[in-house]
Amino acid sequence: CQPIYRSHGYVPSDSDLAMLVVGQDTRDTVGDFIGRPSSAGVLEDGGWYYVGSRWRELGLRKPQEISREVVAISFNEGGVVQNIERFGLEDGRVVTLSRRVTDSNIKGVTFLGQLLGSIGNVNAGQFLN
Amino acid sequence: QTYSFSDVQIEGNSRIDGGTILSYAGIARGEAVSAGALNDAYQRILASGQFETVELVPTGGTLVIRVTEYPTVNVVDFEGNARIKDEQLSSVVQTTARRVFSPQQVEADAAAIASAYAGGGRVAARVEPKVIRRDADTVDVVFEISEGRLSEIERLSFTGNRAFSDRRLREVLDTKQAGLLRIFVGSDTYAPDRIEADKVLLTDFYRSRGYVDFQVLGVASEFSRERDAFFLTYNVQEGQSFKFGQIRTVSEVEGLSPAEFERAVRVRSGATYSPNAVDNTISRMEAVATEKGLSFVRIEPRVTRNDRTRTLDIDFVVANGPRVFVERIDIEGNATTLDKVVRRQFKSVEGDPFNPREIREGASRIRALGFFSQAEVDTRPGSAQDRVIVDVNVTEQPTGSLSFGISYGVDTGVGLALSFSEENFLGRGQFFSATLNTTDSTGSSSITFVEPAFLDRDLAARFSAFYRISENDNSDYSMRLAGIEPSLEFPIAPNTRLNLGFKIGQEELYDIEQLNSSAILVAEEGKQDSFGLSYALSYDNRRTGLNLNGGVRLRFGQELYGLAGDVEALKTTAVATAETKVFNEEWTVRAEIEGGAYTALGGTQSRVTDRFFGSEMRGFESRGIGPRDLDVENEDPLGGNYYAVARFEAEFPLGIPEEYGITGGLFLDVGTVWGLDNTNGGLASGCVDLNGDGDCQVDDEAILRSAVGFSVFWTTPIGPLRFNFSRALAKEDYDLEQNFDLTVSTRF
Amino acid sequence: CGGGRQREVPIEDLTAEQIYQKAEFELETNGEPEVAAQLFSEVERLYPYSEWAKRALIMQAFAFHSDRDYENSRAAAQRYIDFYPAEEDAAYAQYLLALSYYDQIDDIGRDQGLTFQALQALRVVIEQYPDSEYARSAMLKFDLAFDHLAAKEMEIGRYYLKRGHYSAAINRFRIVVEEFQTTTHTPEALHRLVESYLSLGLTDEAQTAGAILGYNFQSTEWYQDSFKLLTGRGLSMEAKGDSWLAGVYRQVVKGAWL
Repeated sequence: CQPIYRSHGYVPSDSDLAMLVVGQDTRDTVGDFIGRPSSAGVLEDGGWYYVGSRWRELGLRKPQEISREVVAISFNEGGVVQNIERFGLEDGRVVTLSRRVTDSNIKGVTFLGQLLGSIGNVNAGQFLN
Repeated sequence: QTYSFSDVQIEGNSRIDGGTILSYAGIARGEAVSAGALNDAYQRILASGQFETVELVPTGGTLVIRVTEYPTVNVVDFEGNARIKDEQLSSVVQTTARRVFSPQQVEADAAAIASAYAGGGRVAARVEPKVIRRDADTVDVVFEISEGRLSEIERLSFTGNRAFSDRRLREVLDTKQAGLLRIFVGSDTYAPDRIEADKVLLTDFYRSRGYVDFQVLGVASEFSRERDAFFLTYNVQEGQSFKFGQIRTVSEVEGLSPAEFERAVRVRSGATYSPNAVDNTISRMEAVATEKGLSFVRIEPRVTRNDRTRTLDIDFVVANGPRVFVERIDIEGNATTLDKVVRRQFKSVEGDPFNPREIREGASRIRALGFFSQAEVDTRPGSAQDRVIVDVNVTEQPTGSLSFGISYGVDTGVGLALSFSEENFLGRGQFFSATLNTTDSTGSSSITFVEPAFLDRDLAARFSAFYRISENDNSDYSMRLAGIEPSLEFPIAPNTRLNLGFKIGQEELYDIEQLNSSAILVAEEGKQDSFGLSYALSYDNRRTGLNLNGGVRLRFGQELYGLAGDVEALKTTAVATAETKVFNEEWTVRAEIEGGAYTALGGTQSRVTDRFFGSEMRGFESRGIGPRDLDVENEDPLGGNYYAVARFEAEFPLGIPEEYGITGGLFLDVGTVWGLDNTNGGLASGCVDLNGDGDCQVDDEAILRSAVGFSVFWTTPIGPLRFNFSRALAKEDYDLEQNFDLTVSTRF
Repeated sequence: CGGGRQREVPIEDLTAEQIYQKAEFELETNGEPEVAAQLFSEVERLYPYSEWAKRALIMQAFAFHSDRDYENSRAAAQRYIDFYPAEEDAAYAQYLLALSYYDQIDDIGRDQGLTFQALQALRVVIEQYPDSEYARSAMLKFDLAFDHLAAKEMEIGRYYLKRGHYSAAINRFRIVVEEFQTTTHTPEALHRLVESYLSLGLTDEAQTAGAILGYNFQSTEWYQDSFKLLTGRGLSMEAKGDSWLAGVYRQVVKGAWL
């Protein structure tokens, strides 16, 4: 059967990236040239990261990321571009996520709550067979 | 000059205490206060809206604040209102009991009541507010209303229309001329806001017929002295009708050829210009762009007019749109529904390029969930100008139903029904239902559970188990069926889904009335286990297809029995349905062809529990058609290995205002059931030829039956009902007709 | 089905105090907050300028609230604040107003809009009436509501993390770390950032996040998980008891996220 392709995120094209000059451009000029990043580092002066990936969905298999491009722009303390690196899908590590969740004491609706809540509202489908 | 007060004295206040007035004034003791500050304090006290008059009199070291309070409203009453009830009026009026009385507010309320009446077509209504002083500080407010008669539109005429007659244009408008049934028809009353809506209808009517320069110059309305009859005249300027000139598709995006977009154009040069055709083409081109994974692409129609040839040349330009990203998707109002159930309806992810079409499709998928009475999806600017935040505001509606009571099936009679079904089980979007229905001749219980996003993929896992008994339901034998049917369904291509599953079941045919039942049935008595694998391909482009108000739905499924159990057979079913809207989208026309074949394998023969009865054919009872053994007393229906039904129907408004939710429909069903493995009927004890055809063979030929009828659709709070009145055209004398049926009209 | 009440003395003849006591009786002993609320509003209507009217208004807000009729309770509390802003009960009225949003959070756990309104109303209590006895419990409830908002951001972050949309997940977790530091979700947010950055291959960002986690939340289990991930001895691929079927049971039947 036919796979469905989908792309997510955004990575600036090579022509845009070529306009950036290491050691000269600052955060603002980078922002104007190639737009703001899809995500950034933890600290205020962390790096800027542009992530673009292409996914393939085939039948009942889990959607698979077939290609990913990460453009990492790191800045020095002065906010001047220090380095522009590219990462691919192969650089990523397959990480087992930990299942634990911080308890958020939001109680969802319970089965009994929903069962009793729907007393009285009726839909015709039950009567007419 | 400035003052400084060591003491403040407040006079005249009885209800509001001094502390409150002081906090309004905002002057502290002993503080230096200029004249300007004094005036501000005065303004603030007045602005609190509690006092009729306020005076600030500085006398030496003390500031005297003399106030007279507004009285409070004790009771608000309405007299003389017959058409609009008190509750509706009190919602319109701001003045309420226990609140401060203010004369301006009462005047505003009187005007609000008058405009409420004008909106309902009673322009002649008069409202007089009366204030009755009970004692020093409380008043009663009474609104005396004289409604006057309903002002109806006697005549509706047009000037300046050359291309279309007054009568044709009157059909276009919502507002109707008062005719014979003026008391019942509401749309002939004069309502100012309806005039605006009619102008839009008139403009759309002309624009979609090529009159690009059409304008409504003005609407003159005079009314008779008693203000109950109106004469409306629409003054229009038609201009010329334009045709499509040269149509071109141009791409301004480098490296993108317009060829693919060219195929999506549905506008032919020479045809009459219509804005819908242009919009339709644009959304088709957008669909092509999304399929090719292009982001930030926009389709711009550039129109060039040449008046001499009265044609419009249109260039569909594929251009680079602005670079905008989705910053956040915020979902609010989901009280019980989990966030992921709504969020997974969007294919776009936070941080993706903003694709308005994708967000619109996500919004329609959220509405299609059926969990929300209202689902508003709109975007607002984000933290930067190239960022957008998608706001999803939903209001939940009850999705569960629990009922124990009486059920009525037209042909199964009255029965006990106990059922619980929940479409949004525990807010996870899962479907769960457990039902138990018993009538005098049938009994069925079933449990169904569906997880639409199994393992967080677009993969619907379904598990259903059923147990059904039918004792002599329109026949002289009984059947007991039980089965478990788990299945998985997932998309294999855009608009196409594949369903894989298996069925474990047991069918039993028992207490066949030996004396006058057909030998065929007697031979089939007994219990059989079945184990089968099933697959079904379904294609459905109604919502996402390129033709926006129609679509095609195909379904082809096969079940292979025989890997285990006693049944060895291949059962094939197929349905093809096409639907479209005609007569500017008021009529829905639908054609459907359905068929099935049950071929027993390995030398076995089909049994009545497996065969088809064509129960979906309207005009006949559930086992009404198909081969029968006419050489026995019971003339039991035997069903057939094959069936084919064609249905043609149209649904159209009956002119009754929308709010009643009643529309009408016509239908024609043609179909037949045929084919038996064993056709030698007659009594088990030997052939006694009753129908005089010389032998005991059962006629299992494909004899065409047809029925025609009309139906009434009524959307009620408990669900969309459909009343079918039908009459058979071609039928066998032994078929069982059914002229009336009441079903839930499923919107496919 | 209720017993017929003995013939009612017409309310109009009773004095304000009698109606007030009747209402209080309904509220405390009979446990009929709705009837009490009606009676309190009668006091306000019949004797609109007495001291009783003022007390009746605040009691009316309380009665509606205990009857879980949040809209009316909000309206009554707001009216009290408009009429008697300087009264010392105004703090209680503002607190009741905040509670009317806050208490709805418990039974409508997921609605983010409501949590936001509760936060704003609670902030008014804390800022305008800092020394009233309600300020302290308002602060407590403010933190809990704030925690609800953080939990919502985490829920969405985990949604994207599990589906492999790491940059969307990172943005959500960063919001928790930057704007919700005081909540109980910060350590988990930092650990999720370690997981997301590692999945993208940005090991130095992962180390920065791990360092912040280690510096502030050394004793949490989250830090141990991050430590294992960062020092290469990642969690074993098949955590114990994690067969495919157990995963399906946990997610489909128990509704767990992973």
